[in-house]
This record gives sequence, C-alpha cells and structure tokens, in this order.
Amino acid sequence: MQSVECNNLTKRYGSVYAVNDLSFSIAENSITGLIGRNGAGKTTLLKMLAGFSLPTSGTVNIFGQNPFNNLLVSANLIFIDDEMVLPENMNLGEILKAAATFYENWQAGLASGLLDYFSLDLCSYYPQLSKGMKSTFNMILGIAARCPITIFDEPTVGMDAAVRKDFYRALLKDYLQQPRTIILSSHLLGEIEDLLDNILLIDAGEKRLHLPMDELRSYAVGLSGNFKLLNELVKKEDIIFQQQLGKDKIYLVVRNRNIDFSAAKLKGLEISPVAANDLCVYLTAKHKGGIDDVFKHN
Amino acid sequence: MYLNADDLTPLYVQIAQWLELEILNGTLQSDEKVYSQYQLAEMFNVNPATAAKGLSLLAGENLLYKKRGLGMFVAPQAKEKIRAKRIKQNLQQLVLQVVAEAERLQVSQAELIAMIKNVEPPKEE
Repeated sequence: MQSVECNNLTKRYGSVYAVNDLSFSIAENSITGLIGRNGAGKTTLLKMLAGFSLPTSGTVNIFGQNPFNNLLVSANLIFIDDEMVLPENMNLGEILKAAATFYENWQAGLASGLLDYFSLDLCSYYPQLSKGMKSTFNMILGIAARCPITIFDEPTVGMDAAVRKDFYRALLKDYLQQPRTIILSSHLLGEIEDLLDNILLIDAGEKRLHLPMDELRSYAVGLSGNFKLLNELVKKEDIIFQQQLGKDKIYLVVRNRNIDFSAAKLKGLEISPVAANDLCVYLTAKHKGGIDDVFKHN
Repeated sequence: MYLNADDLTPLYVQIAQWLELEILNGTLQSDEKVYSQYQLAEMFNVNPATAAKGLSLLAGENLLYKKRGLGMFVAPQAKEKIRAKRIKQNLQQLVLQVVAEAERLQVSQAELIAMIKNVEPPKEE
C-alpha cells in the first residue's frame, strides 16, 4: 500500500517555484531519505505532506486523503523540524505527558529512557535548551510518538557527532520493533544511507531521482586514468562529473552501464565506488567540473 | 559490526558474503538457523530490507533454505558449494589481476611463483 502519493505537486511563492510538478509515491513501512541542496524545496514539500500548507496546484494524498485540515492525518502523522513550537510554560516532563494524550502509540518508557540517556532534565524548559539539545528532544518526540507516518526535516541540526549516531541507531531499533513510514530529510546522505530503503533526490523543486538505495549505490562509478583510454571506454552522455588529475590523467564519474570492468582493470584504469553523497552533489551540480569551473575563467 | 562503505559491492552482497564466511569457517553449521533479517539489520546497522536481500541472495543460490514460520537455515553442502564458488569467482579473478600487474612490472612467472611461495598465510583470528 502507498502511504504517500503526490501528483504534479507544485508550490509557488511569487514567481519562484519551490516545488515544481513533483509526482511520486512512498510505500507503507519504508524509510525514505529526502535529499537535496539548500533551497531545493525539501521543507516546502514536507510541509505540504504534513498538511501544514496547501499546494498551488497538484495533489497530495496521505492514506488516500488530503492532509490539509484532516484529523485522521493529524493523529497519525508527526512532523519534526527545528522550528517546533512547544509550550514555554511546561517543562519537558509535562510536554511528554501531554504528547502521550495526542498519540495513540506513544511509548512513555522509551521517551523517558531516551531523555535519561541523553542527559535531558525532565524539569528543564524547552526555550532554555541549547540548539543541539532542542534537536535531541524533538527527535525523542518523533520516535516515541510511533506515528504511522513520521517525518523528520533536518533532525540532526546542532547535534554533535555522537548524538547523531545514537539518534540514527535509536530510530533503526525502534523501526525494527514497530515498522512505519519514515521520511528523513538531510543533506548529509552519508550518515543515513545505510538506513534507507529509498532515496528521493530533488533539485530546484523537481525530482531528480527516486530509487531504491541499492540502485543508487551502483548507479555510477568513478574511473581514473589516462585521458585517451577513458575516452575510448566511456560514452560522453554517461559522464556525470569530471576532474583533471595532472597532465593526461582524468577522474570521471560515469553512469554504470556499458562499462567493461575487467577490460578497464587490465588496461590499468582505476575503478572506485562513488559515495552516494558525492553522487547526489554531482547530480545536482550546475557545472560538470564543480567549483573549479568558476576559477577557470578568472 | 561494520560494513565497508568504500567497497563497490552493494551492502546486501557484503552481508551475504559475511554469512558465507560464517558458514565457511564453521560458525554456522549445516541445518543450523541463520540470523533473521531483523537481527542482521541490527548487527550491521542497516535497513531490514537490505538484510533480507542478502539472505534471499543466498537462498537463491540454494545455500540457505527456508522453513515456513521458522526462518532460514544453512543448506547441507553449503560449505562445499561456497568453497567451489569462491575459488571459481574470487580467486581466479584475483590471480588474473596479479598476473596482469606482474606483466606490467615485468616480473617473470618464476619470480611471481617464488613471491607467492614466500607469503605466509594470515592466521585466523
């Protein structure tokens, strides 16, 4: 079953298309990574999924319904970001108690266990928390609510490396116990790629790729070696990224198709995997040579 | 347990290869139950669908078999099959690369064989 379905979804702010003609669907009980550069439209998209804002045109369906002003969706979906509005006059313990009344599957034991693990004091107040601690508290809300659709928009903002790692593991462990549909947005794909079933890459409001993670990993390869040899081996339209290495050496990132790997190896070309994160950067770059292109002309 | 992110091999294949090693070194015996997709997901910190794909890869090669409602088990003869497969696929491929590199470096066949003889096999941990 599809939990999320979007058809020709568009959101326009003035003359800017923040989300442009997006169509995709997300299967129930899967983890999807929403990846894109700054300003790609990730947050705009997620807010429409959560029913926080209306599309300019096109449709969003959550459990087959329009999420805007929808009680069924509100009770079964949680949206976590770094601009959570939480009551200032309630301490963390009281907020957790209140959350328990909103969400049917609320895990009180898990919430207090996580709070304790991350050294958050039940008696402290949300506005007094540091940026990273706020994110940590939001994350605890998001996991403990066990909503059938759980959306995290840049959940790790301000968290230190250790907390981020713990967060992803906690999310995975709780997902194993209670599978649900999770959408995670991030620009640090490297940290989350192992958790994901699928990746949705958007660029300037448009869909660039929507693939199972395994396919993304084998989508492209890095080849480096002699310029001439590589040109014989690789088709021009398959090149995603290129970088000059020394006089006649070049590094190419190419679509992983029609490449004879054993021939390449025997010719002394180096084959390397392309990190999923780098690949996403190359795919959403406006210039094939990256930042180096800017300096070439000066 | 950590998977090698710098490896071109997909994660589910790395999980399958790890299970093959467990069978090869005798940690998992014939007709013994193997880890569930959820156990593997937790052990390797990966999505359970990825782990399931690793298991079904081995099941597809008849190295594991499924008992309805009980999980996956090591097939009899799995160890021998894995050994034969790895000699054919991995070892021969590696030999080919070694020979090609030797040729590039103008190392003679006799020198190469002497080098191989001098290598001490790594001790099992």
